[in-house]
Amino acid sequence: MPIDGCIEKLLRKNIIMKILAALLSRKMPTEPVPFQEILPLRLKSRVSGKGDNQSDVCCIYEMSVMFACLKEHEFNQSLCGKEIEKFQKCYLEYSTKRRTRKEKEAKGSIIMGERDFSHKQLNRMLKNFPQK
Amino acid sequence: MALRSLIFNQQILNNSVPILSQFLQQNGMSQFPSYYIKPIYQKEAQYDLIKNNEAQNYAHLPVRPALVDQTCSLSHDPKISLFINYVMRGGNKALARLLVEKAFETVKRKQLEKYHKAKEEDKHKIDIDPKEIFHKAIGNVRPILQLTPIKRGGVRYQVPVPITEKRAQYLSMRWIIDAAKEKERTLHFPETLANELVAAASNGGKAVKKKQDLHRQCEANRAYAHYRWS
Repeated sequence: MPIDGCIEKLLRKNIIMKILAALLSRKMPTEPVPFQEILPLRLKSRVSGKGDNQSDVCCIYEMSVMFACLKEHEFNQSLCGKEIEKFQKCYLEYSTKRRTRKEKEAKGSIIMGERDFSHKQLNRMLKNFPQK
Repeated sequence: MALRSLIFNQQILNNSVPILSQFLQQNGMSQFPSYYIKPIYQKEAQYDLIKNNEAQNYAHLPVRPALVDQTCSLSHDPKISLFINYVMRGGNKALARLLVEKAFETVKRKQLEKYHKAKEEDKHKIDIDPKEIFHKAIGNVRPILQLTPIKRGGVRYQVPVPITEKRAQYLSMRWIIDAAKEKERTLHFPETLANELVAAASNGGKAVKKKQDLHRQCEANRAYAHYRWS
């Protein structure tokens, strides 16, 4: 077969392929693009409580100060009374705060003038007044 | 059960949740419903209530009966009765009380011996009250932190975490008892317990060493302190 004929054949094939691809492919979007509502365009009537999950790490600084003191005095607690007291006070404060927050959340009632709402309080409110 | 279903059918529960649900709430194995308050059996606590004008609040509340070891006797100490309960095995409380009382007697004897042998100027330093020694010992053995295993990335880390007051007290009593139990067969428990109490009151002994070891371990693992979450 002559080389010229071969190239011509290949080119013709290529053009046919291109036309076919253009015919079969999706239409290019024309302006303006029609709007399609895939998810409902309003907020849900509930919130997730994931964001409220706080990490439980507390009193790290107090702990490190206490460890430094204890190591310095060969783990004799009587010489580090102040540091230990500070650490324990910090933890007590933290745990009482957490407990009161939990109690408040469990109740779910809303106190007038309150600013920070837990997800449970919000959900309770949204249940009464759902998004329409 | 019939009452419960009846209440559910008539939707009484939904209307007045707090009172009824409290009434229906399971209360463990207790015979008494959860709204029965615990008795205030100590005289000082009662006087405090009267002094603060709070006694009227308790006047018409249903009260549980006092437990067998809760008396308003002057010699009663709630911590010591708790300690006796920790010593107790197989419900043999009479034996447990006997052992602890014997230990206290031994402490008293030892301290009196020390007191009489001491010089006149050193005598005020020696504590001869076994109850005071007991409380001092418990206070000295009380740990500040504990280690909890936390799994991160497939590795179990020993993470130092702060400890609650109650847990610290429990551990201190447990360690004193364990230290006293670690003995030769020829020695008796009350004797070793007395030794342990006296040693712990002066910041020595096995139990205090155990606490210090725990603190050392916590210090060694302090880098993992931020791993804790619960």
